[in-house]
Amino acid sequence: MDPTQLTIAEASRAIHSGQLSPLALTEAYLERIAGLDGELHSYVLVLRDQALAAARARTDEVFRGPLHGIPIGLKDIYKTSGIRTTAGSRRYLDHVPDEDAETWVRLHDAGAILLGKHETHEFAIGGPDFTLPFEPARNPWNTAHYPAGSSSGSAVAVAAGLCAGAMGSDTGGSIRGPAAYTGIVGLKPTYGRVSRCGVFPLSYTLDHCGPLTRTVEDCAIMMQALAGYDSQDPASADVPVPNYQAALTRRLNGLTIGVIRHFHERDAVADFGADSAPSAAYVTAFDAACRTLERLGARLVDLQLSPLIDYLDANRLIMLAEAYALHEADFCERPHLFGHHMFARIALGAFLSAADYVEAVRQRRELAVEFARALATVDVAVSANSTGPAPRIDAVSTYSTFERASYTSPYNLTGSPALSVPIGFENGLPLAFQIAGKPFDEAGVMRVGHAFEQATEFHRQRPAIAASLPLHQ
Amino acid sequence: MSEPISSEWFGFLVERAGLKLTPEQFAELRQGYRFVERMIRTVRRPRDRTAEPAHIFVQPRA
Repeated sequence: MDPTQLTIAEASRAIHSGQLSPLALTEAYLERIAGLDGELHSYVLVLRDQALAAARARTDEVFRGPLHGIPIGLKDIYKTSGIRTTAGSRRYLDHVPDEDAETWVRLHDAGAILLGKHETHEFAIGGPDFTLPFEPARNPWNTAHYPAGSSSGSAVAVAAGLCAGAMGSDTGGSIRGPAAYTGIVGLKPTYGRVSRCGVFPLSYTLDHCGPLTRTVEDCAIMMQALAGYDSQDPASADVPVPNYQAALTRRLNGLTIGVIRHFHERDAVADFGADSAPSAAYVTAFDAACRTLERLGARLVDLQLSPLIDYLDANRLIMLAEAYALHEADFCERPHLFGHHMFARIALGAFLSAADYVEAVRQRRELAVEFARALATVDVAVSANSTGPAPRIDAVSTYSTFERASYTSPYNLTGSPALSVPIGFENGLPLAFQIAGKPFDEAGVMRVGHAFEQATEFHRQRPAIAASLPLHQ
Repeated sequence: MSEPISSEWFGFLVERAGLKLTPEQFAELRQGYRFVERMIRTVRRPRDRTAEPAHIFVQPRA
């Protein structure tokens, strides 16, 4: 048995029963990283010695819970005490923090083992950029293609079996976009649900931290350790945390699911042009996914919201204003330290006025209220994620972020929980949709995602490169 | 997509922001400015004066 093929839930059961040791599991992952990451570039730092030491300690300890001895990785914007944390930038190339991100503290305390730090777009926005010190991560389904970003390395490592789970961050879709393009599960929790303390910010009011995993059940396991109030994060919400695994069911009887079709069927082309039209294969996969939800017992109803561009441009304007404010001094005094994409994108924030920003945050409240009213009529909503397969990595332009429709950022604007789940393939590359929910109802969106997974096989498929190593003995 | 902002007006915005750009950066950001113009058009709309942003702050527990 190759233990890196196991989900977190499966590996955890094997560790708990004594069939698998944390040390053997960690060694297997390190072997795969050594064998594959030269091509995938998902890690900027592999912590071999520290991971093995932690694995030996976990092997000798009493079982702490489902994350005991589970090897994970962190996007390199998560601060790690005594361990270099670069934010993917020359600006912090030699930065060694003296604090840990709160999320890593919680995962560590739950028994997880840190394999290393994952490649990220510079400050979670500037990539894929070949002018940076770190090579951009490659899509494991086809290494000529883009894995999306900015949590690129985290998604690639999970999809390729180079860690069991990972942490990403999401300001406009940086967890759910990479999850979609690499065929895994990514959750952006409710704003305030998971601490952002000790994570390099991009945009204070839009940033979310969340997990990337191979299955929804694994996502639930990670969320159990991550969720909960943190007084160090001014946006943290003191809301009770339910038992996420207990909420997972195989049927959806009695649920009403809203389907937001007009974002991809009408608005994308109307506001962003023909290049943003969903592929025929995507439309087919999305419709088939909706029929699967119906077969599972859910009642589907169409939801009508404001046009997609109203959500996207408010999100992008707020992000630009907040990100520029964060980096203004460096942009004016040390611009040479930034990669090309980071500078060209975020410098646009210099040209916004205070009134522009205030109008955008007024619009955000209007749209958040609209979405809350729509969700009041249903249990969860489903909508498109990226509406076609991953493009070639050399076809991603500097302003691609602003040129095309994005289906993920509406939920950053509203702060709603949103889960990306695989729904099919096109030309051998994964497709996905999103399940969004009411504030703090991560359990509800994961319930729907888990039931969908159990009724389909998409999440079981792995990229060929993930199986290309001889089985670990 | 609309015509790019004039060089003169964009130069004023760059100077006001305190950015020191190479000619290549100036040209690229001037092209990118059309996205900023679109965002501003999208969010600048008539609103009732009472349409406030959301603004709450949760006090840390003692």
